[in-house]
Parts: sequence; structure tokens; C-alpha cells
Amino acid sequence: MPDSLKRDLKELIVNTLKLEGVAAADLADDEPLIGSGLNLDSIDALELVVTLEKQYGIKISSSEESRQALGSISHLAEFIRARADPARLPA
Amino acid sequence: MTRAARNPGPSWGFQFLRGCDRVLPEFIFRPLRWCGTWIAVLNMPGQRANSRAYLRAALGREPKHRDVVRHFFAFTEFLMLRLRVANGQPHRGDLAPDAEGFHRLLATGEPALLGTFHLGHSDLTGFLLGPQEHRRVFMVRQRVGNSHDTEILGKKFGAWVTFIWVNEAGNLLFALKEAVNSGGSVALKCDRLEFSAKTEVFDFLGARRVFPFTIYHLALIFRRPVVLSVGLPAAPGHSTVHSSPMFVPDAGSKAENLLRAKAHFQAFLSRIEGFLREDPSLWFNFTPLNPPAP
Repeated sequence: MPDSLKRDLKELIVNTLKLEGVAAADLADDEPLIGSGLNLDSIDALELVVTLEKQYGIKISSSEESRQALGSISHLAEFIRARADPARLPA
Repeated sequence: MTRAARNPGPSWGFQFLRGCDRVLPEFIFRPLRWCGTWIAVLNMPGQRANSRAYLRAALGREPKHRDVVRHFFAFTEFLMLRLRVANGQPHRGDLAPDAEGFHRLLATGEPALLGTFHLGHSDLTGFLLGPQEHRRVFMVRQRVGNSHDTEILGKKFGAWVTFIWVNEAGNLLFALKEAVNSGGSVALKCDRLEFSAKTEVFDFLGARRVFPFTIYHLALIFRRPVVLSVGLPAAPGHSTVHSSPMFVPDAGSKAENLLRAKAHFQAFLSRIEGFLREDPSLWFNFTPLNPPAP
């Protein structure tokens, strides 16, 4: 069964960072988000963090935590599930 | 922690200067500072070469030896001013009539991202803004071999100024996030490329050169306005603060905002170039000049 949170996260990443020529479906679940083919830098990571905080009501307060959370789509989904208000998560 | 090399001056220099300033009359101390400047010029071949390369671009001719010495001396005198202000010497930053962005910022009271440059009295602007205008300012600073002058200024203006010390880009960004979320204004330098994840190319001193552009990305992320400013020496005890208009990241798409941001930065950079053409020793640039675009 497809994971709707992971699907939402992929769309959020592509839309927030305006990734040219990348579709949400192109993002693999287990590939690193930073330092991979997406070419994201620290500002992109910060933009993503701020958007995720607003969207899911979570708090990411250090670069260490953001590295952990942005390890991959799977890591991110796990991170958000552990911290977000369930009402904000997709059914 | 790695501490980067600093602009001209040995690590014990600040304490030495403060000591001399306490005990020596100015008519003796000033010639001594000239001697010290000569010694620095002779003993710092790297900074001397960087100064010469920058002055060549600013003057449009091969700089004379005295141009380089004057450049070093201008920096010495600014360090002296910082130390004296930290020791309690009164100093005011007066807004120039054309400091449109700053006037607007003070009128609205909203927090902003303040971009500044290693130019003239700019380094004092944040310290003066707090107590004069009752603004809390977070200043981003790279911890270098000798930050004594900054630390004592920080102690004096501690009620208004908080430093965000950085030596690693990732931590810087999270410290900035906390500062912005706490409602303070954040001042960061926009002329050196260290720790700048985002850069853009601008016309400056006769070439297309790379400059940091991170401040505008932060403006878009946090929805904060940007004002660029520099403080220039004015009458004794005064600096004049010149600023850009306020850049507000509110219109259209991210790409449109970044396009406006580029024009905003270029316009202010052109004003700075005008100041530097008049007095090249204003820019304390003893590191390699911003590289031309590839």
C-alpha cells in the first residue's frame, strides 16, 4: 500500500525548492536528500526545514537534527510521524 | 575550533593598542600607529598583495606603495575607533537623508535582515543602532584568531547586541533561524564568500564578480525585509549610515523575488563602488578580491 505521507513529502520538496526537471515520483524513498543528485545545499535544507515545521507543526532545532531528518524520504517520514500531531498527518 | 586568519594585525595587537591609548598622548601615539602600520605592511606579504590587487581594481592603475600603506593605516584607525568606542568614547551613527530603507525600518519597527560590508565604520553600525534606536540586533561573526575588539564591544553593548559566532555553515543557519524566530534583526556581512551557500554574480570594480547572496534567500524563507547599509566616517564622533531602499520579498514567485533581489543588491553595490572610487581605503579588504565570474 503506498505511503501517503511519503508521497506528500516528495511533493512538498519538489514544490518548495522548485526543483527543475524533477517530479515527485522521481524521488526515491531511501536516497539521501542532501548531498545526492538533487544538489541541495544548506539554504535549501533550511528552507525545507522551515516549510516542514509550518506544515506539520514540528520543531527541528539543530543542523544535527536536520541532517538526521533529511537523511532520506523514509527517514523524514519516520521523523515526522514521531513528532507531529497525528491530526496533521495524511490518513 | 579552527580560527581563521584575520585582516592585518598580530593576535596581541588589541591589548597593546588599548594599553598605549591609555598612557600615551595622541601626538605621540598616532606617529607610533603609523610606524606599526609600516611594520604590518612589511611583515604581511599576503595581505599586502591582496590590498594591492584590490587597490589596482579600485584606482584603475597600479597602486603606489603609499596607497597600500594608507589602506593599512585606515584599517588601523578603524580598529582604534572600535576600541575607543568599546572603552566608552561617545560615537553616533547618523542616518544619511538618502538612507531610505533604514528610515522605513525604524518607522515600522519590524525586524529585518541587515546586510553590511567590511567598509568604513559599518562594523559599528549594529552596535550604535541598538542603544540609539532601541533595537535588538543579532550579529553574525566569524570567530577568528583575535576577536578581542568584537568581544569587548559586545560586552559594552550586550543589552542590545547578541553575537552569532560561526565557523560552520550548517550551525550558522540554525542560529539564524532561532534569531529570526525570536523577533530580532539579524546583521550579516555581504562581501565575503565564507559560509555563503548561495552566491550570484554582480558588476563590481570593472568585472563581473561573485558575491554572497544568502541574505535574500533567508529573506524569502523567513519573509523578512532586507536593508543593506554602510557606515562612513563623518565628523569626529560621528558616522553617516547610508542604506539601500528596503527589499520586501512579497511580490510574485520565488524566481521573480530573486530577480528583484539581484537588482536591489546590484544598485547598492554600485553605490558602494562610488564611495570606493572616491576613497579606496574605505574597504578593509585584505583577503583575495571577490573572484571574477567563471
